[in-house]
Amino acid sequence: MPRRLPDYAIRNREVWTVSNANYTAASAHDSWAQEEITWGRWNTPESEIKFLPDLHGLEVIELGCGTAYFGAWLKKHGARRVLGVDITPAQLDTAREMNEEFGLGLEFLKANAEAVPLPDESFDLAFSEYGASLWCDPDRWIPEAARLLRPGGELVFMRSTDLEMVCSADNERIGRQLLRPLKGMHRLDWTDDEVGPSTEFHISHSELFQVLRRAGFEVLDFRELYAAEDAVDHPYYQYVTAEWARQWPSEEVWRARKPELAKSRRRRS
Amino acid sequence: MPEVQSSASGDAVVGMPEDLPDYAVTARALWTKNNSAFTAGTARDRWSQDEIRWGVWKTPEAEIQILPDLHGKDVIELGCGTAYFGAWLKKRGARRVVGVDVTPAQLETARTMNEEFGLGLEFIEANAEEVPLPDASFDLVFSEYGASIWCDQFKWIPEAARLLRPGGELVFMRNTDFEMVASTDEERITERLVQPLKGMHRLNWFSEDESSEFHISASEMFRLLRRTGFEVLDWRELYAADDAVDHPFYSYVPAEWARRWPSEEIWRARKRRPPRGREH
Repeated sequence: MPRRLPDYAIRNREVWTVSNANYTAASAHDSWAQEEITWGRWNTPESEIKFLPDLHGLEVIELGCGTAYFGAWLKKHGARRVLGVDITPAQLDTAREMNEEFGLGLEFLKANAEAVPLPDESFDLAFSEYGASLWCDPDRWIPEAARLLRPGGELVFMRSTDLEMVCSADNERIGRQLLRPLKGMHRLDWTDDEVGPSTEFHISHSELFQVLRRAGFEVLDFRELYAAEDAVDHPYYQYVTAEWARQWPSEEVWRARKPELAKSRRRRS
Repeated sequence: MPEVQSSASGDAVVGMPEDLPDYAVTARALWTKNNSAFTAGTARDRWSQDEIRWGVWKTPEAEIQILPDLHGKDVIELGCGTAYFGAWLKKRGARRVVGVDVTPAQLETARTMNEEFGLGLEFIEANAEEVPLPDASFDLVFSEYGASIWCDQFKWIPEAARLLRPGGELVFMRNTDFEMVASTDEERITERLVQPLKGMHRLNWFSEDESSEFHISASEMFRLLRRTGFEVLDWRELYAADDAVDHPFYSYVPAEWARRWPSEEIWRARKRRPPRGREH
């Protein structure tokens, strides 16, 4: 069935085609080779925050996988099946190349994470690290994640914080001025001299909490992450400086669970 | 350090002579002053009000519908001040409302109003971090800018959990992270990040009156509630309405600021039932 991409998905696909050529294709090999799971721009170790559920035997879908290095880590840490969904062919090409080289057996699907052409209740974990969590509309991709999850399945994702979004300007490093209202924040259209125009989605953390509840999730965990004392500015995502992110959180992780059916038996792995 | 004295109205101060923490002593001094400057004078209007409204921007409960059904509930208000919110909860069906506060002047206003309006609230002079009442004796613990900002959340939230029956709820209003990171000792809030959020916990203010507030980030609050045995049911940030005007007394945050960034938020959480307990 033909699925027409929304305008923002087309813009974002162009941006990520450029970003893949500029950065992600070249850094993919190192990322895939890494054994340790680390989160986001500040490489916060999973061993420190212990945020992920036990991955053993889980069927995982990564929404907005990019070059799928995080999916690769999840596979290395015990996931039974990892399927990466992305709309940018260039990123998926890099992901497939790495998958062949590292022999991890991931699967890939070119699709918009707001409308994934897969059956209901087919995964145990839906995951996104700056993927759908940023580039897709939360009113669409979160209900879609709920649909894809089995009862008792979990949704884990990382995104930017309210503080980062409110202090963000076009084409400039982040500052301390509250530049844009949080009220009504939802779709943000950016211009970027280097990679071209893109569209991000951001709703406030309390609104996100409510979207998760309305989609049927129980929120299990919510953490804001700071840059470590010895963190240095990211080589490519330079927009937020380590100095800023040591004082205010620039990224946050959420973990939520789709309830078991009232009378269903608990699944055992 | 001064100890709690018996209140002027003669009600017993329950429990042992307390060693109040320094921040409770400064909070009491501040609220004794605020009582004569503002809260005593406005208490009658507030008690006579029939509609429940939240916080500085007077957001109607009818609009946000965050409170649980109050019918037949035993409620304790932690940091009740003049107890207008407790009065509203009683009018809405609560069976029993106990107001706890550390400031005798505020409790005296509360008692005067309670007599005048005949609502049958009860009051205890105590620090909300250490309430001299038995475990599991309430269905709802409530605070609107009371314990929620003047007490240490690592003490008062476990205390709220202790006071609640399994399945009971905790509802409170406090300031947002946005308000706290943009706050200084000056007359008005800024539009800049001036306080790091990292490590935020106790904030000591020195303008005019010395006082200490407690604030941890929203994600830390979420995690504290989970660790304390609560499920978080709701969490709302509130903005000033388009036609809101600056508050006559709490003028620190102008309406114009609070129309763009949330200055106050409400949390609703439920104490989990024990794993093998029977569900109703």
